[in-house]
Amino acid sequence: MSVAVPVKRSRALTFGNLWISAAIIVVLLLYPVFFGKAMNFGVSTVIFAGLAMSWNILGGWAGQTSLGHAALLGVGAYTMTLLAIPERGPAWLQALGIGHGAAIAPWWGILAGMVIAVLLSLVWGALTFRLQGSYFTLSSIAVALILRLVAINENFTGGSQGLFMPDLPTFFGLDLFDRKVEYGLAVGFVVLTLVITHIIRRSRTGYALQAVREDEDGARALGIDPARMKLIAFAISAALTALGGGLYVIYLQAFEPHTLLELPLSVQIALMAIIGGRGSLQGPVIGAVVLAVFGEVFRNLFSSANLLIYGVLILAVTLFAPGGIMGLFSRKGRKLGTAR
Amino acid sequence: MTAARSVQPVPINQAAPLLEARHIRVSFGGNVAVHDISLSVRPGEIVGLIGPNGAGKTTLFNALSGFVRPASGQVLFEGRDITRLSPQARARLGMARTFQVERPFEDLSVLENVMVASFLHHRGHQAEDLAYSVLERVGLADRATQPAAELNLARRRRLELAKALALEPRLLFLDEVIAGLNPPAQAEMIGLIQQLADSGLAVIMVEHIMQVIMTLSNHVVCMAFGELLAEGDPQTVANHPDVIRAYLGEDDD
Repeated sequence: MSVAVPVKRSRALTFGNLWISAAIIVVLLLYPVFFGKAMNFGVSTVIFAGLAMSWNILGGWAGQTSLGHAALLGVGAYTMTLLAIPERGPAWLQALGIGHGAAIAPWWGILAGMVIAVLLSLVWGALTFRLQGSYFTLSSIAVALILRLVAINENFTGGSQGLFMPDLPTFFGLDLFDRKVEYGLAVGFVVLTLVITHIIRRSRTGYALQAVREDEDGARALGIDPARMKLIAFAISAALTALGGGLYVIYLQAFEPHTLLELPLSVQIALMAIIGGRGSLQGPVIGAVVLAVFGEVFRNLFSSANLLIYGVLILAVTLFAPGGIMGLFSRKGRKLGTAR
Repeated sequence: MTAARSVQPVPINQAAPLLEARHIRVSFGGNVAVHDISLSVRPGEIVGLIGPNGAGKTTLFNALSGFVRPASGQVLFEGRDITRLSPQARARLGMARTFQVERPFEDLSVLENVMVASFLHHRGHQAEDLAYSVLERVGLADRATQPAAELNLARRRRLELAKALALEPRLLFLDEVIAGLNPPAQAEMIGLIQQLADSGLAVIMVEHIMQVIMTLSNHVVCMAFGELLAEGDPQTVANHPDVIRAYLGEDDD
């Protein structure tokens, strides 16, 4: 059109801001040095940071709001635990020679849980992703509810009492019930989610996911299959969430379906990502830390009224920072804030 | 881009049609939006689609690009029946379209918008380089890093075209890319479309401005109320009494 003036070509295809991720990892690694006495808080917060990062791949990058990620977390948790307790496991599994006799190490159990979570997400996504709008969100609540009912009513899942892990083998000579070890694994989990998110950011898949999130028909016109892209995001998100679920119950040691498979847990994971900045690279980690700290502070101040702070934060974010905390620091995020 | 196909040994009207639509009929509920329309376009040819508002032009576009399934009729691309193919599969075959209401991915920069398209056939920095060269071609390179949401109407139109071109298509559907632009911008866009056709691209365009259609098109199809009113070379269609009546209204009221 107009005479082509040579323009300085700044690269768009990058891994995104790696420095922020590096800083986050350094801060996380320094935490035990200064707060060695508050390791319980540390481990659970860091695991939730990783879970929120996992949610963000589907909820932020692909724009599919899931309120059922507790189901995927539960798949990882139950699979790992049931395989680790030899006398547990459903009869049909025992008939196959699995879950009878030798206990299966938790890392193999988590891997199995990740595979099952991926299969679940593919079936679940294939059934719901052809619909647009809030159908997926509704279905996600339903799937988590169904799994919760199964867990409560089946015998092998321990019913409503849940499961207890008496002991675990050492992991390369490390005691898995040592909070420091658990903290290290949790940080490793967050690092993994950060690495995967940065890779997505730089990939063709990442661009296709964002296009699908913004406008499915617009994406189709450019040769992108929205259902397929959403399935890819869901599978990655599911695998990582199941991994986090396994780590979470190693930390808990005992769990029951009433806490692990309930809607509030799914909502909490989603909120952390949304408050931190859905679709951003590191926002969910920030959101998880902010929510955890607020939750801790306000639990001491108002006891059970700490849930109030969640409500206030949701309102504040939707009204003033639709791009989340990370959005406040980018031009894009501030622009969204004024435009919507 | 399409420079490799710039040589046209065969005159346009003798080449085999790239896209052929046969007796397309589209209905929504009981409403027939497109009734028995046939058309074809050859490489290097510009087919203009005109007609008053509500004539069914955009619906026909949607049927040809796969966003609407025709109730009956056939769409052929290089002789292959693609009537039931999804829009994304058609894009991969070499068909690209713009949307009448521009739809940039607002959270992405101008460059990233185009990269989504250039990733169809290229990987990594190759896709980025292609996106830049397309932006240079449509005159948006200096806006590359700007969020697409901030573009004005004229630049959004160019972005629409850039995204379509980054697919490296052989057939281009343009849905009112010129209307609403100021005269210099119109002239630039007309020049660019002509250039694209000269390089061997087949173009089907919907446009309201008669003069634009008259200048650019090799063949004009005029629709009214979903039906074919007239077709032929631009002059014939412009002078057709039915077309004049459709645009200016009945003279005996």
